[in-house]
Amino acid sequence: MLSTLELSPQTLDADAPIRIKVKNLDFYYGEHKALKNINLDFRDRHVTALIGPSGCGKSTLLRIFNRIYSLYPEQKATGEVMLDGRNVISNDVDVNELRSRIGMVFQKPTPFPMSIYDNVAFGIRLYEKPPKSELDDRVEGALRRAALWDEVKDKLKTSGMGLSGGQQQRLCIARTIAQKPEVILFDEPTSALDPISTGKIEDLLEQLKVDFTIVIVTHNMQQAARISQYTAFMYLGEVIEFAPTNTIFMNPSKKQTQDYVTGRFG
Amino acid sequence: MSLTTPSTVRELPPTTWGRVRQSRRTADKAMRIITASFTIIAISVLFWILGMLIVKGLGGLSVATFTQITPGPGSEGGGLANAIVGSIILTFLGIVVATPIGVLAGTYLAEYGKGSKLADLIRFINDILLSAPSILIGLFVYVILVEPLGGYSGWAGGVALGIIAIPVIVRTTEDMLRLVPGPLREAGSALGAPPSVVITSITWKAAKAGMVTGILLALARIAGETAPLIFTALNNNFWFSSNLMGGVSNLPVTIYMFASAPYENWQQLAWAGSLIITMSILLLSIIARRIVRGAK
Amino acid sequence: MTAVTDPMSLPAARPQRKTPKGTFDLIFRNASFASALFVLLLLAGIMLSMIIGGWPAFRAMGLGFITGSQWDTQADVYGAWPAIAGTLSTAFIALLIGVPLSLGIAVYLTQLAPVWFKQPVSTAIELLAAVPSIIYGMWGLFVFVPLFAAYVQVPLSNIVEGMPIVGTILYSRSPSGLGILTAGIILAFMIIPFIASIVRDMLDQIPSVLRESAYGIGATTWEVVRHVLVPQAGVSIIGAVMLGLGRALGETMAVTFVVGNANRLSGSIMDPGSTIASRIANEFNEALGLQMNALIGLGCILFFVTFVVLVIARILVARVKTF
Repeated sequence: MLSTLELSPQTLDADAPIRIKVKNLDFYYGEHKALKNINLDFRDRHVTALIGPSGCGKSTLLRIFNRIYSLYPEQKATGEVMLDGRNVISNDVDVNELRSRIGMVFQKPTPFPMSIYDNVAFGIRLYEKPPKSELDDRVEGALRRAALWDEVKDKLKTSGMGLSGGQQQRLCIARTIAQKPEVILFDEPTSALDPISTGKIEDLLEQLKVDFTIVIVTHNMQQAARISQYTAFMYLGEVIEFAPTNTIFMNPSKKQTQDYVTGRFG
Repeated sequence: MSLTTPSTVRELPPTTWGRVRQSRRTADKAMRIITASFTIIAISVLFWILGMLIVKGLGGLSVATFTQITPGPGSEGGGLANAIVGSIILTFLGIVVATPIGVLAGTYLAEYGKGSKLADLIRFINDILLSAPSILIGLFVYVILVEPLGGYSGWAGGVALGIIAIPVIVRTTEDMLRLVPGPLREAGSALGAPPSVVITSITWKAAKAGMVTGILLALARIAGETAPLIFTALNNNFWFSSNLMGGVSNLPVTIYMFASAPYENWQQLAWAGSLIITMSILLLSIIARRIVRGAK
Repeated sequence: MTAVTDPMSLPAARPQRKTPKGTFDLIFRNASFASALFVLLLLAGIMLSMIIGGWPAFRAMGLGFITGSQWDTQADVYGAWPAIAGTLSTAFIALLIGVPLSLGIAVYLTQLAPVWFKQPVSTAIELLAAVPSIIYGMWGLFVFVPLFAAYVQVPLSNIVEGMPIVGTILYSRSPSGLGILTAGIILAFMIIPFIASIVRDMLDQIPSVLRESAYGIGATTWEVVRHVLVPQAGVSIIGAVMLGLGRALGETMAVTFVVGNANRLSGSIMDPGSTIASRIANEFNEALGLQMNALIGLGCILFFVTFVVLVIARILVARVKTF
């Protein structure tokens, strides 16, 4: 099992600064405590994967970083999630601005009901008012980085809903990076896609980490092994083990981690 | 165990925030205030109407309201007994006409005709009848029943109300039958029961609460209908004949005729009747909604 | 021979056992089918009875039945234009007021209302639809009309008097409170629950992942609603509005109470007028001969206008986009 894993070849920079620091984080769905005392560091311009069996809280954790959980009044987080020295779960943080700094790509592609061009320009226009030529450049740049430009450059004015699933997901990535966020969260971004589209998105993640701090939730261990430099294994709302990806997959220190990555449960 | 990675821990310097333009915040806040006030306006109208009915109607309400019949022009006192009984009879008649047809048609749409073009067409037409102006139903019944039979009658009123109730019952019956899981029907068929038996003894039983709600909603819908009765049952200031021929007194048309009449006791009775009819209908709707929520 | 026929007689026995149930099955099936067809028959019957009932009036008046503005029972001259214009203008005013209110309510209920508040408010809005038309008429005539005359018509007439255009449209010659605008306002409140409930259901049907991703890009609630949710619900919102329009066009009792029932056409929305439905309700019980045909002819016009509106509405509402 372990030998079939294709581990990430890239080296990690042990001196990289920390972009997000999670301290003593608890999370509640109403009365139910879904996350217990989470402590994690996310390194700048690295890919950190969150893995674990369904219901372990990995998506819940991801949804705390951009406060998307606060759309639901019964959900509550306590503790610290420091982004550049600012606790993002405190009430004095402007959630809209936070979300422009921490972008998110969801499980299912979610093109907005507008043209391809407007999908990408939407996020930029919310926060900046660049002149038309600059906006065009930004949109083109984002689509190029999302490896979508060549496929859509002749139909920028058509609806984003007309694209294939894989193209839609890359459109969502383009839309996110166009805003120049500091962090991008990926919530199982390839689970609704075919293998070829999945491969394209994984290649994309590889290039994006040069500029962005990336956190990805995935149920696919091969994917975590291929693309991440750090991996956190979660189980029943707790972080069981957090280490460089190679360590988690080759030489985990906990038995539960070992069992999960070798496919014995989960 | 420390979960942080063993290396020099360096945090990034704080960045300055404040990228959200004030105009965006203002627009958002304005929207919140506007939509909330729109909601308050609509609710206030409901409570305004209810308050008005209680203030003006409660005073006119007495034992006589339920025991005496509607007074003639210029005569003292009087009540609404004949109008209340007439309304109950007409509404009941409407439901009796509408229930078998509505339930069977809804059953056809959900069970036999599932997926057929004809069923799609019937569903579409039914939805249109659901929102068709009730005055047209009244005119229709006038043309086919009142005119040929030579006079207004309770029967015509009942039929008009029934026609208004049918689309409501068809729609809820179909919706509720569709909620019944397929395996339940298959289990019935597997025992060798023919479709009619599966439907009547399994599917209908499973959907009973929802179907009853449909009938209650139809009842609430027709109980306050006025326009179609003007053309069919009209009204009557006396106890109507037991064969329901001739005008049959009923609450809505009595309210319509008494409300702007120059006699004070008529106006009083119009308000009392309005209170009775509105409260009954709102109560019916609330009960029906409760059942639906329980059934789903 | 007998040895061979014996096993064959088994299946032959079955239809015999089935016969009574088979008959019931057939009757039940045909009864359901007939009931379903009855729904079609109803619509066809309404359409035919309106055409046949109104035919003498159409024949006598020709195109003048629709375009003529004289409605004179003494001279037996019937022109429906004032009633048609009144129907269209009251319905238009109702939409002008009712649609923004309905959309606002739907947005509030689906996006902003606190959880505990949502259910009771939803129920209250739906109960507005259950209140009988005649009660809206009572409220309109006895509560709203006097207030409207004193606090809107009188001061507004003083302001706009002599002004071009608005001086015509908004000036009330006799500020009684009754009129086209009053009817439109009452109608607005009557159609709000229908439009608001449908739009609320549409907004609720939009997958939460789309809503989350719109918030996820840093948009405010207003921006999410305006740029993502409303375009996503798209034409079906127009369908909901058309359904409301269908209601407003045919609403009878409430309008009859407050529209003023004037037979002539006025340039001011503050003046009394009439609608097709109010005209029918008012004159029907005293109508004889051609006047009766003319009233049914009015019903025929109302039928075709609402039919077209409702068909468009249902087609648009059915096209809710799903993921």
